[in-house]
Amino acid sequence: MQAEPSQISDNDLLHAVARGDELALAACYDRYRLILFGLILRILHDRQEAEDVLQEVFLQVWRRAGDFDEARGRAFTWLVTIARSRALDRLRAAGSRTRLSDQAAQMPRAEVGDAALDALKSEQGFIVRTALAELPEDQRKTLLLAYFEGLTQTEIAARLGDPLCTVKTRMRSGMIKLRELLGPSRDLI
Amino acid sequence: MEHQDYQELLELHALDALDVSEARVLEAHLKTCTECRDELGQLRDTAGLLAHAADPAGPSPEVRSRILAGISADKQSQPVVSTARAIPLKSRAERNVWMIGLRLAAAIALVALLVGVIVLWRRDMKMRLEIAQLARQVNTQQRELVHDRDVLGRQRDALAILNSPNAKKMELAGTQTAQTARGTFVYDQKTGRAILMAEGLPATPTDKAYELWFIPKGHSPMAGRIFTVDASGHAMLPENMPPEAMANAVIAITLEPKKGSAVPTGAIYLSSPSS
Repeated sequence: MQAEPSQISDNDLLHAVARGDELALAACYDRYRLILFGLILRILHDRQEAEDVLQEVFLQVWRRAGDFDEARGRAFTWLVTIARSRALDRLRAAGSRTRLSDQAAQMPRAEVGDAALDALKSEQGFIVRTALAELPEDQRKTLLLAYFEGLTQTEIAARLGDPLCTVKTRMRSGMIKLRELLGPSRDLI
Repeated sequence: MEHQDYQELLELHALDALDVSEARVLEAHLKTCTECRDELGQLRDTAGLLAHAADPAGPSPEVRSRILAGISADKQSQPVVSTARAIPLKSRAERNVWMIGLRLAAAIALVALLVGVIVLWRRDMKMRLEIAQLARQVNTQQRELVHDRDVLGRQRDALAILNSPNAKKMELAGTQTAQTARGTFVYDQKTGRAILMAEGLPATPTDKAYELWFIPKGHSPMAGRIFTVDASGHAMLPENMPPEAMANAVIAITLEPKKGSAVPTGAIYLSSPSS
């Protein structure tokens, strides 16, 4: 497993974790730390908090990998869902929002030199960003508010000052379009 | 809501953007609709890709160490966990022990009960036997008592007759047939109450009985009572003297058929001297 962890599928990796394979968890961390930490940081805007949450996420992965069912979705979705939920929970917890004020100072730029990071930016990030760029601005905005701020349709309508039904339509259309755009390349990501 | 209406909620649910009430309604539908469930799965995969919209970022290297240390600690605490898991097993084993114990106790209780029942039943039987025996004894004693009272009564009667100033005594002598036999016949000349005491008579054959006869002078014999003798040849018999026999009569004992005879048919065993 240590030799060529990248050749092992995400599914097999999680199954190995479920069996208590610590190396599999380490491989899983190495494979997804950048994207998951990026996601958590994007939600929390605080490195310290984001690192705490990342640690929580992998402990949860370690303990709950047995719950992963590949018939119900991709391993990547399972990991990302845990990271996003944990981060949003932390965001909603009292005190987290107050730190949003100094988010600018905390924004990560330290690890730009990481080769894997560059590779990620050049592949998966590029595809998703390109797809998002093809969506109309108002659709893209609702999706990002829902995804990274954990807002509901009603909260988004209030935030943007738009009617609820308009927000619903935009979100639905945005998801449908995104699915069309990412459909063929989804397995590559 | 129609299936179509639920379908229109799936995109927003994939982003967890539905309001709570709508989300709850949809979740209820998802439990029964595999089509919507599959659709939602695909939409969640799409939504998950939005994570790539965030700039990837590298956490500090200590995070990796902390995670790996954390899971090692978690794994070391596994023995605790597995002990914790073993507790149900152990308690299941204990429960089994309890079950075995309970069954054993039940079996012992059953055996004890059966033994108890048998003991009680046997004791009951024994007591019944004892009671029956006692009842028989009481019966026997009662009969003996009755007999004794009878004998006593007869003896009292005999005494009363013997003590009576009107008593008349007649000696009976054994005949050729019963030479050792002898007897006494006493009667009250006023009341006619009489008593026969005999001894030395041969044991009574089973199909025979002795019969007492009064033979007044110039009359044919008058049948008196029939009787048997005990093993020693004794007999004591109360009797009522027929008025005809009071004056001057011969008393005789013959052996007759068991039910007695109207006229003497058998041999004479005892007889008063003819006057």
